[in-house]
Amino acid sequence: MIQEPTRLQRLWLCEAIRQRETHAGPLDDREANRHAQRAAKDLPGRIQARALFLARRDGLVEALDSLLGGARLALLLLFLLAIFGGAGLAFASVGDGREPINVFWALLGLLGLHFVSLLLWLASQLFTPASPTALGRFWLWITRTFSQKLMHKTARDQRAPNLVPALFQLLERRRLVRWLGGSLVHGFWLVTLLACLVMLLGLFSTRRYGFIWETTLLPASSLIRATEWLGFLPALVGFPLPDASTVLASGTVPVITEAARQAWAGWLLGVLVVFGLLPRALLLLVCWLRWQLGQRKLTLADSISDYSLLAERLQPVSASTGIVDPAPAQLYMPHIANASGKATPESRNAAHLSSNVGHLEQQHTQMLVAIELNPERNWPPAELPAAVMDGGIIEDRNQRRQFLDRITLHPPQRLAIAIDSDRSPDRGTLGLITEIAPLVDAAYIWLLPPQVPPDGNQARLKIWRESLDALGMLYNDTPPWHWLETGRE
Amino acid sequence: MNDLLKFVVVGHTNVGKTSLLRTLLRDSKFGEVSDRPSTTRHVEGATLTVGGEQFATLFDTPGLEDASALLDYLEDLERIERQKHPNQRIDAPARLELFLGSIEARQRFEQEAKVIRQLLASDAGLYVIDAREPALAKYREELEVLSGCGKPLLPVVNFSATGGRLEEWENALARLNLHARAVFDTITPPIDGERHLYESLALLLDSKQRPALEQAVSALEKQNGKRRQSAALLVAELLVDCAAARHSVAPEAEEEAEAKLFVQVREREQKCVEALLDLYAFQADDARLHTLPLSEGRWGDDLFNPETLRALGIRVGSGMAAGALAGAGIDVMAGGLTLGTATAIGALVGGGAQTVRNYGSRLLNKLRGQNELTLSDSVLQVLAVRQGYLLQALAKRTHAATSRIPPPEEADVARSDITDPLQSFFKQARAYPEWSSLNEEHELEGESRDALVGKIASSLMAFSADATQ
Repeated sequence: MIQEPTRLQRLWLCEAIRQRETHAGPLDDREANRHAQRAAKDLPGRIQARALFLARRDGLVEALDSLLGGARLALLLLFLLAIFGGAGLAFASVGDGREPINVFWALLGLLGLHFVSLLLWLASQLFTPASPTALGRFWLWITRTFSQKLMHKTARDQRAPNLVPALFQLLERRRLVRWLGGSLVHGFWLVTLLACLVMLLGLFSTRRYGFIWETTLLPASSLIRATEWLGFLPALVGFPLPDASTVLASGTVPVITEAARQAWAGWLLGVLVVFGLLPRALLLLVCWLRWQLGQRKLTLADSISDYSLLAERLQPVSASTGIVDPAPAQLYMPHIANASGKATPESRNAAHLSSNVGHLEQQHTQMLVAIELNPERNWPPAELPAAVMDGGIIEDRNQRRQFLDRITLHPPQRLAIAIDSDRSPDRGTLGLITEIAPLVDAAYIWLLPPQVPPDGNQARLKIWRESLDALGMLYNDTPPWHWLETGRE
Repeated sequence: MNDLLKFVVVGHTNVGKTSLLRTLLRDSKFGEVSDRPSTTRHVEGATLTVGGEQFATLFDTPGLEDASALLDYLEDLERIERQKHPNQRIDAPARLELFLGSIEARQRFEQEAKVIRQLLASDAGLYVIDAREPALAKYREELEVLSGCGKPLLPVVNFSATGGRLEEWENALARLNLHARAVFDTITPPIDGERHLYESLALLLDSKQRPALEQAVSALEKQNGKRRQSAALLVAELLVDCAAARHSVAPEAEEEAEAKLFVQVREREQKCVEALLDLYAFQADDARLHTLPLSEGRWGDDLFNPETLRALGIRVGSGMAAGALAGAGIDVMAGGLTLGTATAIGALVGGGAQTVRNYGSRLLNKLRGQNELTLSDSVLQVLAVRQGYLLQALAKRTHAATSRIPPPEEADVARSDITDPLQSFFKQARAYPEWSSLNEEHELEGESRDALVGKIASSLMAFSADATQ
C-alpha cells in the first residue's frame, strides 16, 4: 500500500482527479479544500494536497496501488517472456548441433526480429511518437488485467480506467511517453538478446557445432565480403574474424578445425553483441535517461492553466479582511426635540415679537412644501387650494436654510410636507423633518406614491411609514387639502 | 499586504454599495443587503485575488445620509478654527481632519466619519450612484464632502440596466468635473462592465499603481473566458453522455426501460446543473439559490413533457408516433444498424476493443430479439437549448443577484441555427455507446470523444456569445 506517494505519483493523481472533474464536474471537495489550505501555502502545493486527499477518499490511491502492482507483475511476466523468448531464439537459430549451423540463417534468426522491431520503433518515433508501441499496449493490457484482479478485493474497479489516460496526459506535457515506452521496448529486447547470448554461450560451450554457408546464386566472394563487413565492428572490440580461407572452406563442407569453429562462433557472438545488444543497450540508456530527466522536470506548473478555476476554490477570489471599523452600538437617528425644546405658542410669540413681523403672515397659515421630488412630478400640484401657500421644493443646503429661516420668522399654522416615497428614507431627510416639525403648530407628511420603477417600490413606502411612525409624525398618501383646511384628517 | 491597492466603495445609503462589492468579489455572502437604509453600518474589507495574485483590498462602507448637515457642520468647524488661528490656511483635507477629531464625528456624523476615514486611507473611491434616482442636490453635496479627501473618485452608475436617468447623471457629473465614470449594473451587468470599471479606475490612478490594475483586468478576462469554456465543456459532456446513451431492452420491457432512462437523464442533467452552479461559485447550498427553479425540479421534471418541446419551439420529427411525441426513440430498424453502415464501419475501425465489444453485443442483442433504446433528437435538443440558456444566464449572473434564473422562453431558445449543427454531433455520439457514462460499459477517455466534446462546447459557446450580444 502506498504510504507516501512519490512525486510522480502525486502528479499522476492530480491529473487523474483533474480529468475526472472535467468529465463530471467538481467533486465534493469542501473538506479537501480546507485540508489543502492548511497543508500548503502556495497554489501547486494546495492543488496536490487537495488531489491527494480526494484520491485517498475516493479510493484512487488504492487503485493506483493495484495498478502499480499489476504493472510490476506485467513487467515480471514480460521479463520471463523475454528470457524464455531469448533462450528459445538462440536454440532455434543454432539447433542442437546435429546439423551444421548455416551462419547466415543463424544470423537472420538471431537478429532478424530484433531488426524489424527496431525499424518499427524508429518509424513510430517519426510518425506517432505519442502513442504506445505494440509492446507498450500489450504491457498496458496485462497491467489492466492484473490490476483488475488485484482490485477485485477492494471492489473499486470503476476508478482505475481513468488512471492510465491520466498518466499519458501527464507524461505528454513533457513528451515523455516515447521515452517511457522506449525504455520498456529496449529493455525487453535487451533482456531477450542477453538471454539469447547466454544461451548461445552455453550451447557453444557444451556442444560442438559445425559452421557452413550455402549459396546458389551469389559468388562466394560476396559472402566472404559480407562476413568481413559484418565482422569488422566486432573485430574492433576484440571478437575474432574468420579469415578468408576459413570462410571459403566453410562454403563447401562444415569446418571442423578447432580454430575455425572458434572463429565462426566468436564472429556470430560478436555480431549479436554489436548489432543486437549494443544498440538496444544504448537506446535503453538514452530512453531511460531522457525519461528520468524529463520525469524530474515534470511539475504541476505545466498544467497550471488547467487549474485556474480550481485555484479560485483553493485561493478564494476574495477573502474578507474583517471589519475595520465596527458598527456603533446605537445608530444616531434624528428625533423630534423633546417637550422642553418643542416650540410652544409662547416661545413662538416671543420670536414673532422680536422680529416685529409676526402679524404679516396671518393670511397664510397653511403651507405645502416638498422635499426632493422626482423631476417628473408636477409641482406644485394643480389642485393646490388657493388658501394654501406653496413653500416650493427643498433640495440643497441653501434652500433648506432659507426655508427654515422663513418658517422660523413666519411659522405657518399647518404645514404639509410632501415626500417622494421613491427616495430612500435617509437620516438627512428625516433630520430635516425633525428640524421643521417643532417650528410649526402642526405638521403632516404627504407620502407621494412611488413612480420608479414603473410598478412602484412598495418596500420603500413601507419603510417610510415605519420611519415616520418612529418619529411620531402624522402621514398619509392622499393629498392633505382637507387636513390643511381643517386640521383634521 | 500594505502595498495592495485599496479601493473604498462609498455613496448614498441604499444605492447598492454592498451589492457592487458582492459582484466584484464574486461572493454572494459578503456583507448584508436589504431594501432598508443603513443596512451596512461598519467598514469591512476584502482582498481580491485575480490569477493567484492578490491585487487589491476593497472596502465596504456605511451609506452617506446627511451630507447637507455635515457640510454645515464642517463650515462651522472651519469658522471656529479660523477664529482661533486667524493666520492659518484651512484647506478641505484639514477641515476633514478637524471634523474627524470633533465630538460629532462620534455621534451624529459617526457613519459619515467612518466613510471619510476609510477614503483618506485608500487609493481611490468608487462613488456608487443609483441611476434610477434623479441627480439631486444631496448627491452633489456628498461628492463635495468626499472630494475634500483629495482622493480620486470614480462615479459608478449602478442599476443602469433598468432604464435609469443616465443622461441626467452624466450631465450632473460633468458639471462637477467628474468625467471618468463607469456604468454598471450589479444585477444584470453590461458586457465587459467589470473591465470597463477597472479600466476607468486605472485612469484615475497614478502611473505606479496602474500596471497592477491592468494586469488584474487581463487576468480577470482570462479567468472569465476559462470559466465559460469549462462550463460549456460540462454541458457538452452531458450532451454526449445523453446522446450516446443506449440501452438494449426486450420488447415487452420497453416502458420500464424508458422510465429508467428518463430518470438517469434527469439525474445527469441535475448533476450538470449543480456542477455549473459550483463552477460559478453559486453554491447549491446557498440559501438564496434555493429559490432557483432548478432545485424545485422544474429543470428536470418537464424534460420529457411534450409541452416543454412546444414551449421551446422545437419541432418534433414527423416520423414519430403521436404517443411517443417526446422521449426515447425505439431503434427498431435492424437493431441499431440504422446508424448507417458507414458509421458502423467507422466505429469498428476507429474505436478500440470497447467499441468492437459493444458493437458485437449489440448485434447479439438484436439477434436475441431485443430493441435499442436511445434518446430522441428532440429531447437532446431541449437539453442543449436549456443548458445553453443556463450557460448564458450564469455568465451574466452576478453574486449580487438574489432572484431566480427564470426558465427559458421561446424567444430565447428557438434557434435552429444553433441546434442544427448539434444534430450531427448527436448522431456521431450515438454511434459510440461506450462514450456514455449512462451505459454500463463505458470508456470516457479517448481522443475522438474529447474532440467531439470540444466541438459541442465551442458550438455552445458561440450560442451563448451570440445571445449576450
